[in-house]
Amino acid sequence: MVRRARAIVTTLGALVLALGMSGCGLQIPADPDGTLERITGDVLHAGASPSGDLVTVRGDEVTGPLADLVEGFAASRDARVVWTVDSEEDLVDDLANGDLDLAVGGMTDASPWADRVSLTRGYPEIEGSEGASVVMLLPMGENGLQAALETYLDEEVGG
Amino acid sequence: MRSMGRTDLPPEQQRALQRAIVWEWVTIGYTSVTIVVIAFVLGGSQAMKTAWIEDMLSLIPQIAFLIALLFIRRPPSRRFPYGLHRVMGVGHLVAGVALLAVGGSLAVESALSLVRAEHPAIGTVQVFGQTIWLGWFMVGVMSVIVIGPFFYGHAKAKLAPTLHNKVLFADADMAKADWTTTVATIVGVLGVGIGWWWLDGAAALFISLGIIWDGVKNARAAVRDLIDQRARTVDEAHPHPLIGQIVAHLDGLPWVKESAVRMRDMGQVFHVEAFVVPRRHRVSLAQVEAARRELAAMDWKMQDVLVVAVASLPDEAQR
Repeated sequence: MVRRARAIVTTLGALVLALGMSGCGLQIPADPDGTLERITGDVLHAGASPSGDLVTVRGDEVTGPLADLVEGFAASRDARVVWTVDSEEDLVDDLANGDLDLAVGGMTDASPWADRVSLTRGYPEIEGSEGASVVMLLPMGENGLQAALETYLDEEVGG
Repeated sequence: MRSMGRTDLPPEQQRALQRAIVWEWVTIGYTSVTIVVIAFVLGGSQAMKTAWIEDMLSLIPQIAFLIALLFIRRPPSRRFPYGLHRVMGVGHLVAGVALLAVGGSLAVESALSLVRAEHPAIGTVQVFGQTIWLGWFMVGVMSVIVIGPFFYGHAKAKLAPTLHNKVLFADADMAKADWTTTVATIVGVLGVGIGWWWLDGAAALFISLGIIWDGVKNARAAVRDLIDQRARTVDEAHPHPLIGQIVAHLDGLPWVKESAVRMRDMGQVFHVEAFVVPRRHRVSLAQVEAARRELAAMDWKMQDVLVVAVASLPDEAQR
């Protein structure tokens, strides 16, 4: 009896999913909070924490190879970047609260923030990284945004 | 007198046992490969993680079966006068408890991830210059590995009744339900793909509840046999029909007025105590010994047989 219930629930789950997949515009992966769609043609809220040559902050201006990549990604989505400069921990808080869409600051794929925010794959080829596997931080589970960003980074700096 | 009980098997059971051993090794090999492959595509999906741990847990019954086989072959000794058949039951209990404990902890973990609304992150991988969502690889891997358990599950389910082996039966039973785990994982991952983050946690919870249920079923069956419940069929559905056959046979003997049986499952073989009330006060040794031999000849599982002459039948023995 339990086995039949298990089979029925599984089949129902698959049916619900099939309905969901036929209902949506079928962009996979999609963002649960729609970040990628929101920033496209609008504003990308990016956070920066100064880090060696990768991210330098002078007044209101955020520069460096990582900042350039963020600007490039935004441009590829017809978006402009609004920068927030803060400490790493505050940036992570802002990402988790949904105030930021993305953050950079020379974090690597060994970052301890991985349980609060999503890390992109590491990109040791980024100029100025000195071989460290540099990542960008994203809100947890915005997989459409992450896929788009990683696709852009793969094209710009290679995997 | 030659030792009671048996540790050898008739030809049909020997063949079944050989095949069961081969299938257990095939299962271990297949599962080990799936564990390694899943590790490569694990990502941030709770459902994937739960299915992965379930895969590891599913090795325990096979290992318990193979280890128990080494012991139950040993003949009874002064120290272990009933033989070592119960090792199979102990292995069954260990498997059940492990499933229960780990399943419980996974269920709590997935329930908490749902309550905390944790959105699972699944990124991309770069393959041959193409950036591909890791979720597609998860779905691909799970779609391929769903096939295996259908084969070994049904093969073992056929062998288990021949050997009257409950560990093998439970193992086969879990394998046959394994497709629900795999399909649930695919549903969870694709759910994340279309932005329904909660489907991943829900799938993980569903899989963990399945693990808990397997644990309950196995632990319950093992404990009941270890505390000597009346012997039942390998699927636990009915009292074993041999009990009725023994009583019918003994009642048919001219010197027996009435009879009753206590029969327990030692794991693969039975221990039988048959009580008989004789028609007269005098019973010959030859009659008792003949009855004992006739019962032992009825079934290979039933070699450790006692026939006891009594004045009246105990209430708990089955007529």
